[in-house]
Amino acid sequence: MWGKIAWRLFWRELSRGELWVIAFSLFLAVLTVVSLSGITESVRSALFQRSANFVAADLILRSSVAFNEQVQQQADQLELQSARQVQFNSMVFAKDLMQLVSIKAVSAEYPLRGQLKLSSSVADPTKTASLQQGQLYLENRLFSLLNIKVGDSIELGEKEFIAAGVIVEEPDAPLSVFGSSPRILMQLEDVNATGIIQPGSRISYRLMFAGAQQQLGLLETQTKELLGPQDRWQKMDRESAIGGALDRSERFLLLSGLLGIVLAACAAAVAANRYSQRHARSVAVMKALGATTSLSRKIYGSHLLFVVIFSVGFGLIAGQLLVLLSQWGVAFWMPEYLAEFSVRPLALGMLTAAICALLFSARPLWRLAAVPALNVLREKPDQVKFDVVHLASGSVAIWLLMWLFSGDIWISSWLFALCLLFAALLMGFAALLVRIAKPMTAGQSSALKLALANLRRRLWPNAFQLITFSLALFLSLLLYFLRSELLDQWQQQVPQGAPNQFLVNLTDQDKTALQQLAKAHQLRLTEFYPMVSGRVLAVNGENFADEATKEKPEQRQGVGRELNLTWLNHLPDNNKLESGQWFSTDTKAEVSVESQLAERLQLKLGDQLQFSVGGQLFEAKISSIRKVDWNSLQPNFYMVLSPDLMQGFPATYITAFYLDMSEQELLNQIVRQFPTVSLISVDTILKQVNDIIAQVSVALTFILLLVFASAVLVLVAQVQATLEQREQELAILRTLGAKSTFLKAALLYEFAALGALAGLFATLLAEVLLAAVQQQFFDLPYSPHWNLWWLGPVTGVVLVTTLGAWQVRGLLKMSGSTLLRRALQN
Amino acid sequence: MKTPIPHIVAKDVVKTVQLTESELTILQDIHLTINQGATVAIVGASGSGKSTLLGILAGLDQASSGEVYLAGQPLHQLSEDQRAELRARSVGFVFQSFLLLPSLTALENVTLPAELAGMPDARVRGLELLAQVGLSHRADFFPNQMSGGEQQRVAIARAFITKPAVLFADEPSANLDSATGEKIEDLLFELNEQQGTTLILVTHNHELAQRCQYRYLMHAGHLAAEQPKATEDKRHVG
Ligand SMILES: Nc1ncnc2c1ncn2[C@@H]1O[C@H](COP(=O)(O)OP(=O)(O)OP(=O)(O)O)[C@@H](O)[C@H]1O
Ligand SMILES: [Mg+2]
Repeated sequence: MWGKIAWRLFWRELSRGELWVIAFSLFLAVLTVVSLSGITESVRSALFQRSANFVAADLILRSSVAFNEQVQQQADQLELQSARQVQFNSMVFAKDLMQLVSIKAVSAEYPLRGQLKLSSSVADPTKTASLQQGQLYLENRLFSLLNIKVGDSIELGEKEFIAAGVIVEEPDAPLSVFGSSPRILMQLEDVNATGIIQPGSRISYRLMFAGAQQQLGLLETQTKELLGPQDRWQKMDRESAIGGALDRSERFLLLSGLLGIVLAACAAAVAANRYSQRHARSVAVMKALGATTSLSRKIYGSHLLFVVIFSVGFGLIAGQLLVLLSQWGVAFWMPEYLAEFSVRPLALGMLTAAICALLFSARPLWRLAAVPALNVLREKPDQVKFDVVHLASGSVAIWLLMWLFSGDIWISSWLFALCLLFAALLMGFAALLVRIAKPMTAGQSSALKLALANLRRRLWPNAFQLITFSLALFLSLLLYFLRSELLDQWQQQVPQGAPNQFLVNLTDQDKTALQQLAKAHQLRLTEFYPMVSGRVLAVNGENFADEATKEKPEQRQGVGRELNLTWLNHLPDNNKLESGQWFSTDTKAEVSVESQLAERLQLKLGDQLQFSVGGQLFEAKISSIRKVDWNSLQPNFYMVLSPDLMQGFPATYITAFYLDMSEQELLNQIVRQFPTVSLISVDTILKQVNDIIAQVSVALTFILLLVFASAVLVLVAQVQATLEQREQELAILRTLGAKSTFLKAALLYEFAALGALAGLFATLLAEVLLAAVQQQFFDLPYSPHWNLWWLGPVTGVVLVTTLGAWQVRGLLKMSGSTLLRRALQN
Repeated sequence: MKTPIPHIVAKDVVKTVQLTESELTILQDIHLTINQGATVAIVGASGSGKSTLLGILAGLDQASSGEVYLAGQPLHQLSEDQRAELRARSVGFVFQSFLLLPSLTALENVTLPAELAGMPDARVRGLELLAQVGLSHRADFFPNQMSGGEQQRVAIARAFITKPAVLFADEPSANLDSATGEKIEDLLFELNEQQGTTLILVTHNHELAQRCQYRYLMHAGHLAAEQPKATEDKRHVG
């Protein structure tokens, strides 16, 4: 029975605004959550799949002692694919020549991800071959270094192998730009026969796994106990440009998405409030006619339920469509991408809708049903009192949402406290300004006077409006500026014409020859960094342990591998001194250490390091700690020595240049001319980074639109909430003889003043937050955003006035008598 | 002359409201007995407490002390929901400002109480009543498409649809011009007579008061009866 009444009322109410505002807010909230988390998830899984290609597996367990067979068993139980490899350095001999090489021995399953391309011809990479027992595949330059050709035999340890061909493409080749020893690929079964692996040899054992995300996660958690100090999971390379970009974009997307949702939820709360105010009379009448409180509750609760079902349904569908669209986009630039369907975004969307509906919108409707029947006898229904519970439940909801999205109770509480502070500040400002406005109005035109009088009279409702307007504008502005700043940042990391080809292992002669070639082809070489490999043996006379042992875990663990050392007069561009002093011209025996390494090895200024280069020992004092931007695709060094130290060592050089895709032919010429030089191309990485930037910028624009839509929604809901009161006031003013043009002007002034104030507050807040972001996230010095200072207030005035005028246009058009009749009927 | 059955009884009714600092007494020592089918007018100055008394007699509000009986039920002992049910069954209202639900049509407004009380044939009864108040042609109109007089006629139809035992009317013609107001009053008395409803009217209008069998004067929270002179008055007005 009540269902019929509820449905009828609901249906009729659809022609009025509030239910639509609530519906649209919830829709926006669900859409935002589903699409954002869905899209981030897709991009993340795409990047995961992509980086899995780079390490040839989804997950790798590295060990310095032996393969961890217990982990292998666990992985087998989880039905994960697995492969093995061993890496070590050794000398190879070919007749009378020898060379230090870096060897990778792999099991037959390798690689689990990505592609291994071998060729049986040095000149022709298309002669596909596969790795057989007794064979070695060599990096191209080894053939000239050892002066051999395909089919010749080479010695590795105690065994002879056939040099069967070249490595054309290796999925997990080191991405590092540094020159490493030439590489050799062999079968795992052949390793024993070489006799190289002895106790104490420096060897890296790698168990590689691939499979479903969930299984991989299980493997990691289930094997926690099984890992010794020598075992380490290899994480996806977070220091790479790609990892950094993804991290930042994810944080940013979630944060901005949240802003949009909070805005939308506020709009829903305002609309629900107005809805219940407008229905207070009807509820009193129904109750006088015999409806109980619980019946009224059912009737109006069902309205919210209908709206929620409607919005959630459409929100889920639209959000999922966007996710599919983005997956389709991802597949476009990454053909091997396997789209995965995930319920998590949908569940998150529904949860968000439930939180928004229950904590933002349900309360006013709950209170509505409690309106006393006695109100039918009152000429003027009670002024709606400020609802502390509603404010509290809304606040809790915002905090819950923040928690839900950040997954971090500390961050969410901190953010929430910040919001409260903003709200309190705005409230104080608004109260102050409206009070100050009084003396200012003296001598102004009377329409302006009326506008200001109106503002002052509704001080508290206006202060609340001002807060929401300011927040809405603030979030839009913030996002707009953050978006462009973020994109700038990324673009700077990979600027047009950034070096994309690196040449490593250049000798002094190569150096001069290359400079001539560069001149002839108008290539711009970066500087030549001299380079030798060496080890750090001791600090302040205390030797580093090779490995952390269970007995002496406190002993400092050394770098454990060779480092590329360089010597420079000047600090490289993308390095920043954290402490200490850079070398002066007469500096003797000093070293500058990269900050992360210094932290890991617990090194500090003034420590004395002992180095070994080519068997020669020398000491250097740490005179500075540097911060290095690892995101820049530039040669970077952990240790930079003062020039005096390196004079005697035979160094090779590293340099880089930019080459357009269309000039690939030149690369072949360089490879031919400098057979012992390794050429490393980072074109594909650069392209990926650019692709991601393009994707993320589209996503950001989309979010900006969402947040802006939510902001508009808040404005609409707020103005709607005052319509009834405005109608009555207009009626009275009209009856008292005010002209309609005068009233129109007064209304416009009122909105413009509100908009200007809100714009100003929004600008202030945005500037403060942008400054904080600049320093916290981007490590940039503060610089004011001049554009913000005109854009903020202007947007405020234009947006609020336009939306306000648009909504009250009906009122202004009404004749005085219609207004009066409507006012009396209320 | 048949023996009158007491239908509404108020004993020692007091109504006070708590203000921030003091306590305000709105009604004091109200004694009242109204028989079934009687027509009663309550007159008095603005702010004297008429609407407050009406609210208490109709079970919309509760007295601070004293006893109130409506159709044999002790209102002062009923819970809010029980009073709501009693209203649904036995009470009809007509208000000064009509108070139709703006989003329902005339017919839907009329049938609303019947639907709330779970009565069958609400629609048929509603159409009948609309015809009776002369508004068959306005059945699908919304309140804002009707004149004040039409709205009040719809409100009267709504009041009678549940065949209530008692009808309360608070200034039913105050928002209307005198001619329309009179028509509304005629309708009220006509339906009242037809259905044998007890009618309790609050009004400023003395002519309207004169049409009732009993008149009470409200003065600063006290209620005083005037002499019943039903027969004379009917002649006067008629
Ligand atoms: N909840 C309340 N709080 C404070 N004062 C109240 C409350 N309810 C009623 N009053 C006061 O009690 C007095 C009587 O009110 P009531 O509405 O009953 O008057 P009335 O006789 O119906 O007046 P009118 O003819 O103007 O309708 C008024 O002065 C009113 O202000
Ligand atoms: Mg009254």
